[in-house]
Amino acid sequence: MKLIKSIIRPNKVDEVKDALDKIGIAGMTVTEVRGHGKQKGHTAIYRGKEYNIGLLPKMQIEVVVADSLLDQAVTAIVIAAKTGEIGDGRVFVTPVERSYKIRTGEREAI
Amino acid sequence: MRDYYRTRVSRTGPFTAWALLVVIFLCGLAPALRAQQADPAGIALGDKSNAVDAGGTPFVVPEPTDKADPDYATKKKAFDDYQAQAAKEPLAVKLADTVGHVRIATNFGWTLNTGYLVLFMQAGFALLTCGLVRKKNAAHLMMLNFAAYVFAFLAYYVCGYAFQFGAVAINAAPAGLGGTPTLNSFLIGSGQWGFLGGKGFFLSGPGYDAGSNVLTLFQVVFMETAGYIIVGSICERINFWGFLLCELFVGALLYPIFGCWVWGGGWMSQLGSTMGMGHGYVDFAGSSVVHAVGGFCAMALAVVLGPRLGKYDANGKPRAFPAHNIVFVVTGTFILLFGWMGFNPGSTLAATDFRIGVVAINTNLAAVAGAATAIVLWYFMFGKPDISMGCNGMLAGLVAITAPCAFVGPNASVIIGVIAGVIVCLGVLFNERVLKVDDPCGAVSVHGYCGWFGAVALGIFADGTYGAGWNGVGATTYLGKAGQGVTGLLRGDTSQFLMQLGGATLCAVYAFAFTFVVFKIVNAIRPLRVSKEAELEGLDVPEFGMLAYPESGDEVSAAV
Amino acid sequence: MKLIKCVVREEKIDETTDALRALDISGLTVSRVCGHGTCERQTVVYRGVRLESRLLPKMMIDVVAPDDQVDDVVHVVTETARTGEAGDGRIFVMTIDEAYTIRTRQGGVA
Repeated sequence: MKLIKSIIRPNKVDEVKDALDKIGIAGMTVTEVRGHGKQKGHTAIYRGKEYNIGLLPKMQIEVVVADSLLDQAVTAIVIAAKTGEIGDGRVFVTPVERSYKIRTGEREAI
Repeated sequence: MRDYYRTRVSRTGPFTAWALLVVIFLCGLAPALRAQQADPAGIALGDKSNAVDAGGTPFVVPEPTDKADPDYATKKKAFDDYQAQAAKEPLAVKLADTVGHVRIATNFGWTLNTGYLVLFMQAGFALLTCGLVRKKNAAHLMMLNFAAYVFAFLAYYVCGYAFQFGAVAINAAPAGLGGTPTLNSFLIGSGQWGFLGGKGFFLSGPGYDAGSNVLTLFQVVFMETAGYIIVGSICERINFWGFLLCELFVGALLYPIFGCWVWGGGWMSQLGSTMGMGHGYVDFAGSSVVHAVGGFCAMALAVVLGPRLGKYDANGKPRAFPAHNIVFVVTGTFILLFGWMGFNPGSTLAATDFRIGVVAINTNLAAVAGAATAIVLWYFMFGKPDISMGCNGMLAGLVAITAPCAFVGPNASVIIGVIAGVIVCLGVLFNERVLKVDDPCGAVSVHGYCGWFGAVALGIFADGTYGAGWNGVGATTYLGKAGQGVTGLLRGDTSQFLMQLGGATLCAVYAFAFTFVVFKIVNAIRPLRVSKEAELEGLDVPEFGMLAYPESGDEVSAAV
Repeated sequence: MKLIKCVVREEKIDETTDALRALDISGLTVSRVCGHGTCERQTVVYRGVRLESRLLPKMMIDVVAPDDQVDDVVHVVTETARTGEAGDGRIFVMTIDEAYTIRTRQGGVA
């Protein structure tokens, strides 16, 4: 089982959601985050004073998938979230050792 | 680093605007130089000539001049009696001067204060529209509403008021305010076929007058209403300079021209006496003059701009962009309702016109009927009442009653409100699903469709209990009855109904076509829409360099 | 050392965090997130347009604990956060390679 953590543009959430739905991945957790990569942010001006908005609003989508679905899921996310411009985001994959369903209290098979 | 604040500023837009202003200034200068005697401090305003009794009979009896008049003998005797009595009781005549002065003062206070209520509606509309859009555009919406007031007002000051009311004293003098006698010349047309007023440019010369300024205040806030209606349909994708051009257009040309035809003594108001069409085209407080003009202008701009990115998917199915703050939406609606207590009753321009209570009640009845209908209808259609549609329903009722409010009774008001509630609900769905016109706040349905309906409803439901002598028709008798006022189809006046139908439709066509042609051309020269990146990010930072709700990240960046 | 990532119902957050503190864990991080799983779906209608599979508000608790505490943590969260209805949430366990404390500048390989 793998945790796929993707940081994407906020306006791409629906597309990514639909793309994951299509390949049968049902569960996901979405967080509003702020950050940047190489894209440094931009300058705003408030009452004549410039300041830097370095932490840009992004959305973090976390999905836990079986190993067999991993490549499909990552591909789906990347294709849906991509625009080709700086600021598209990143995808990180980490292994999940165990997974539990709270409603039933069961430990899930990986 | 993308630096939106320092994007290259276009020189052509502002240059054209300034060139236009210079031309208009020169147009206005000539008449202003030949200024008539205006009365800026109201020193000579308000005397026995303004003293009128409850029945509308003036204190001062005029001398009859037409010897061929069949009633000449009676009128001459009345005049002679008055002269004799005036000579015998000079103190009574002086008292009449005071009464006349107080009457004007009462109406000044009334008109100005109701005008201030309408001004407050700006805040209501700003909250309403801001709440209905996405969070990333909140500052953009607020700025559009704010700038709308600012720039449309300036356009109206330059030439809008003069175009609309420069000739009002000829056919539509506001008696309650002293008649504004200095505004007495058409720029285009004359007599009962006036098309554009020609006095009072830059609110100077004949426009710098006590009575005229009261009228100006009241009328400019009505123009502002038409000006901010367009915000509801063009938001979330129009750039700021394009928006300013829209506001200047509305304030200087679109609104005043039609406003002249209906309220400034222009040709549409005179069709009753010139062509026997009922009392001419009637619109008490502006369902068509204000709301339909704004609504159909909004529609034309929405068509020119195109829908928001992502609003329609690949199959043409609409996507929902939920309101980010329903609290603002409801609060804004209540403020608009409150302001409408100035919008409708204030349109008598006189507290001495005792119909004002009826107008206030009719307005509220239509408002609540519209809201109730929208809430219940939506419940049956979609399983839950929609708060934003309920608010739109209330506004629809208000818009629809705005024309007929002085001429109908309570039951007709409720019916008008109910029909408006149905129209707005179906209109929103129709625009979104069939016409595919993206209207974020429902402005086209609320103001365009219901505004048209309101003007037509007047022609159906007017009951003749008010408005005798409206637009100079039927002062003594109308439809065979003495004191019969503006009447609709249901009480036997077909010509009024046809006049309303034709006039309202002309209003819609005029507003849409004029706006569409002008802005299709403007858009071809330089696009009115922001860039794709700016639209996806939200216009707050790209257009204005600031967020409506700066998140904790920004505070941290700016803190040190 | 393991990272125990739990997605729970909003209204369960106080109960769950109280119970976790009773376990003497080193700390926790809570984020507001939204998401859904396989069973819990919600469709709403806004001004006549359907929004399918709405992302529902949840709370995410991140706890880092030594290997021998993991079972206790999982047990406590499952017990307190559970209602038996769809939408109770999930728990994922991942390995932490390194951990540092910023105040003391200490830490290293877990």
